[in-house]
Amino acid sequence: MSVAESLLDRFEQRVVPLVDDAYTLARHLMRDEHDAQDVVQEAYLRAWRYFAGFRGGDERAWLLTIVRNCCYTWRRSRRNQDNVPFDEEQHGGEEGSRYDADARVINDSERGALASALDALPSEFREVLVLREIDGLSYREIAGITGVPIGTVMSRLARGRERLKRALKRTA
Amino acid sequence: MTDSVHMSHEELSAYVDGELPPVEATAVARHLTTCAHCSAEYQIVLDTVSLLRSELERYSAPDVLRARIRGAIAATPTEPVTDSPVPAVAPNTPRHASRSWTRPAAWAASLLLAAALGSGLTFIAASGNRGANSTADQVLASHVRSLMPDHLIDVRSSDQHNVKPWFNGRLDFSPTVPRLDEQGFPLVGGRVDYIGGRPVAVVVYSRRQHMINVFSWPSPGREEGLTASAANGYNMLHWRTAGTERWVASDLNAAELRSFVTLLERADSPPATGPSLAP
Repeated sequence: MSVAESLLDRFEQRVVPLVDDAYTLARHLMRDEHDAQDVVQEAYLRAWRYFAGFRGGDERAWLLTIVRNCCYTWRRSRRNQDNVPFDEEQHGGEEGSRYDADARVINDSERGALASALDALPSEFREVLVLREIDGLSYREIAGITGVPIGTVMSRLARGRERLKRALKRTA
Repeated sequence: MTDSVHMSHEELSAYVDGELPPVEATAVARHLTTCAHCSAEYQIVLDTVSLLRSELERYSAPDVLRARIRGAIAATPTEPVTDSPVPAVAPNTPRHASRSWTRPAAWAASLLLAAALGSGLTFIAASGNRGANSTADQVLASHVRSLMPDHLIDVRSSDQHNVKPWFNGRLDFSPTVPRLDEQGFPLVGGRVDYIGGRPVAVVVYSRRQHMINVFSWPSPGREEGLTASAANGYNMLHWRTAGTERWVASDLNAAELRSFVTLLERADSPPATGPSLAP
C-alpha cells in the first residue's frame, strides 16, 4: 500500500465519518442548507489537502476549525459580492424546499421557537452554543476552534444561553 | 467570591459545564447550599442547558454532500501521479476563479476509473474499447463535476417546457425531456456539457437526495443494449437507440437507476426503439 493510499484510508476512517458534525456546525453558522453543503465540501477539500501535515490530536476539533473558517470566508466573500450584510440577508425560498435534505415536520412548537431563537443570535454566540451543547466540546477546545480566550468562550456561552432562555420565554 | 455575593450567570454557567477551577467550583457549591436566589438561578441554567442539549438541531449530511465530498477528495491527490495520462476533459470554464474543478474532475475520473478497474468491477472500460473507455471516463468526470458547487445545472426548472426549449440554439439536436416526477424522479434542470469534444445535452433528475445525469447526443452507431457499470459508488448505464447515444450516471442504487431508465425510455420513445432491459 502506497503512502498516498494509507493517508486516504486514514482520512476516510477518521475524518470522513465526522461529516454530520461538520454539516451541523455549517448549517447553524450559514443558516442555509445549500451554503452549508458548499462550505462543508470546501472544508473537506482543504482538510484533505492539509491532512498530510496533520500531526495527531483530535480530528474533530481540527475539522471543525476548518469548517468554521470556511463559513466565515464564505460569508465574507458573499458579503463583498452582494453587498448585503450576511446577518440581514434572508435565506430560504422556493428552491430550498425541493432539495431539503432535512425536511421534517416541526410538530413541536418549542423546537421551532428554539431554532429561530438560535438563528437570530449573532454568529459568535451560535458557534459556541453549537460546539458546546451539540458537540460537547470543552471550553479549551472551543477556544482553540474559535480563536478567542477561554474567558471569552465562558462569557459568550453564558450570554448565549441567557438570550435563548429569554427568547423562549417570550414566545412561550 | 464570597458567600454573601450572588453568583454571576457566567459562573453558574461554567459551573454547570464543570469548567470552573476546583477552588472556585467548591466555593460555588458551598454558596448554592445557602443562597436560595443563586440556587434558583442555578436550576434555571441547568434546565436551559439540558433543553439546549436535547433540542438543538443536529443535522445529518445528505447523500449528495457525501458524494460531493468523495468526488472532491478523489479529485485532489496530495501527490499527483504524473505517469498516468489525464483524460481529455470538457473545455468547461469554471465560474469561480478560485475553484477550478475542471482539471481535478479529470483526476477524479481517472482515480475512480482506476479504482473500478483495480477492484475487478465490471466496467465498460475493461472491454478494451478505447472509445467507450474515454467516453465512460468523461461521462463520469462530468457527473462528478456536476456535483460540485454551482456546476450541476445551467437551467434550473422542474418544467420540461422550460428545459427543452433552453437547449434550442445551444445544441444541434433536440434532447427529449420527459416528465417523470409522478414516478418519483422530479426534473431538476439541464446543462450543456462536452463529451468527446462535442457538446452534449445533460438532463438532470433527482431521486430523494440523489442526482441523476442523463447524457445524450446524436450518434451514427448501431443500436446497443443496456450496459451497466459501477465505479466507486457511482452507477452508470449506457445504451444507444437509433441515432442517439445515451448515458446515465448517478450514485442512486443500480436497481432504481435501471427502473429510471425503463421509465425514461417508455416516456420518450416508441416501444420498438427502447433498449432491451431484460436482465
